Amino acid sequence: MKSARNVNFLQVNNEIRRLLAEEGVIILPSSQAYKKLKWTRDHFEMKPEEGYFIWVKKQVIHPLTTCITISSPRISQNPRNLIVVEKNVQAEVHSICNTMKRNLHGSHIGHTKVIVKEQSTLQMKHFHKWEKGDTVGSSLQFHLQKGATLSHVYKCLDVPEKLKTELDSFLDSHSSANIKTAVLAKRGNINMHDSTFLNGEGSSATMRVRMVADQESKIVSHSKMIANNAGIGHLDCMGLLLSEKSSISTAPELMNRNKNATLTHEASVGRIPKGTLNYLRSRGLTEDEAIDLIITGFLGETAFSYKGRVPPSKIHM
Amino acid sequence: MIEIKNLSVKVHEKNILKGVDLEIREGEVHALLGPNASGKSTLAYAIMGFPEYEVTSGEIWFEGKNITNLSIEERAKLGMALAFQNPPSVKGVTLSALLETISKQTSNVKGFPMAFSEILEREINVGFSGGERKFSELVQIISLKPRFVILDEFDAGLDIINLERLTFVMQDKLLCNNVSILLITHRGNILQFLEPDVAHVMLNGKIECNSDNWRKIWRTIMRHGYEKCKKCEFSSSKQ
Repeated sequence: MKSARNVNFLQVNNEIRRLLAEEGVIILPSSQAYKKLKWTRDHFEMKPEEGYFIWVKKQVIHPLTTCITISSPRISQNPRNLIVVEKNVQAEVHSICNTMKRNLHGSHIGHTKVIVKEQSTLQMKHFHKWEKGDTVGSSLQFHLQKGATLSHVYKCLDVPEKLKTELDSFLDSHSSANIKTAVLAKRGNINMHDSTFLNGEGSSATMRVRMVADQESKIVSHSKMIANNAGIGHLDCMGLLLSEKSSISTAPELMNRNKNATLTHEASVGRIPKGTLNYLRSRGLTEDEAIDLIITGFLGETAFSYKGRVPPSKIHM
Repeated sequence: MIEIKNLSVKVHEKNILKGVDLEIREGEVHALLGPNASGKSTLAYAIMGFPEYEVTSGEIWFEGKNITNLSIEERAKLGMALAFQNPPSVKGVTLSALLETISKQTSNVKGFPMAFSEILEREINVGFSGGERKFSELVQIISLKPRFVILDEFDAGLDIINLERLTFVMQDKLLCNNVSILLITHRGNILQFLEPDVAHVMLNGKIECNSDNWRKIWRTIMRHGYEKCKKCEFSSSKQ
């Protein structure tokens, strides 16, 4: 990850603080893109006032980074972002939305549309970090043209009291998407909806959702895979419950409209098996360390520690 | 090294071990033989302190310390380790991540058969073959730098070539460092490779026979089955 000084787009509260274009990449505030580039208007649902437009016309070696942050109380953000990756181009985008402090009671309702053109590749990492009093909504759309490849990771390990996410992916022929979502809720209420449309022949998608609920949290996840053409799709929704007062509801749904398409799903919600904990304890790990390792692995993290965030007594229900 | 005194253990209200006595000295290999459901694995789990295995009487001493009431991880930190017969899957956690957590350093599989090294980046025991599970168990145990190791049916699910390879690793990494081993087994091959100093036969929750000549015991079992062990001929060396 780049340092804040090298962020390509930085919005603090409602003000753009930094805009750093690269060779072969056009970066504009969405409002300017809407004004200057008429074709972008087809991709904004309404005239944008906040947010960024990134147009990757040539391959960039390092990741492009955006950051939309809240640093003052009672700020309301409504960014509308558009990312376009041109044909035969490989790009990587890291997108961060967060709050700087506690008790700012901010509101962040973000809309992002991503167009990955023919034979291009996009790796996108999207990180959210919020405090309890914030209200957050995120709507994300991916449009993958013929032969395009997408790898998308969304992580929110510090959730607000209420988080609502929507993710829709539309895949043309021979395009592929690998989408991972990981959320860790502590006294949070999370509602996630994702739909993946296999519209083109030979398209393929994998959607993986990992949810951890602790301390009176509620997570509801609806994942839908729709085959309108001969493609392959897989949904994989897993939840870990760490407290008695939490709940996880996951509803994977498959809709197949083509006899040559194959859709599969797997889902599970449960606690950490006692046998697994004891196995790790026999390797000299304390119960907290064992839980830490399991959650770290479950959420696909490498530099994250859950240690000390939950007392062991909360684990066994 | 480890001394078990008159140990009785129950699991889910059922008495499994009924007064087991066993002493293993530093650097010794002891084989524990016995039919299915005789209590061998129960002894292994009870020695390691698994909570479901309730000690109803007796004591376990390790290097001069009564460890009967210590937790699993406290025993592991003292230098005790168990290679599981059927280790559970740990989804999402790679073997290398666990090894690094155990040893606080990058995983090192120097000296292990190359064929197994690729499983380091796989989730622990998820889709592992029998041989891969045993490799995983052994590499974890060696990372712990133990003083005493229990091998619970380590040879089950291993072909003879891999058994020989992995017992060679045990000799190199454990026995050469004077680690004591309790070897629970049903098979003769691993006995030939590790040459135990003492063999015991467990029947119905008790150790009925002890001998420093494991070949005699093994021959008797092969010829007459475990029934013959009830009237033990070799107990002159009984501990």
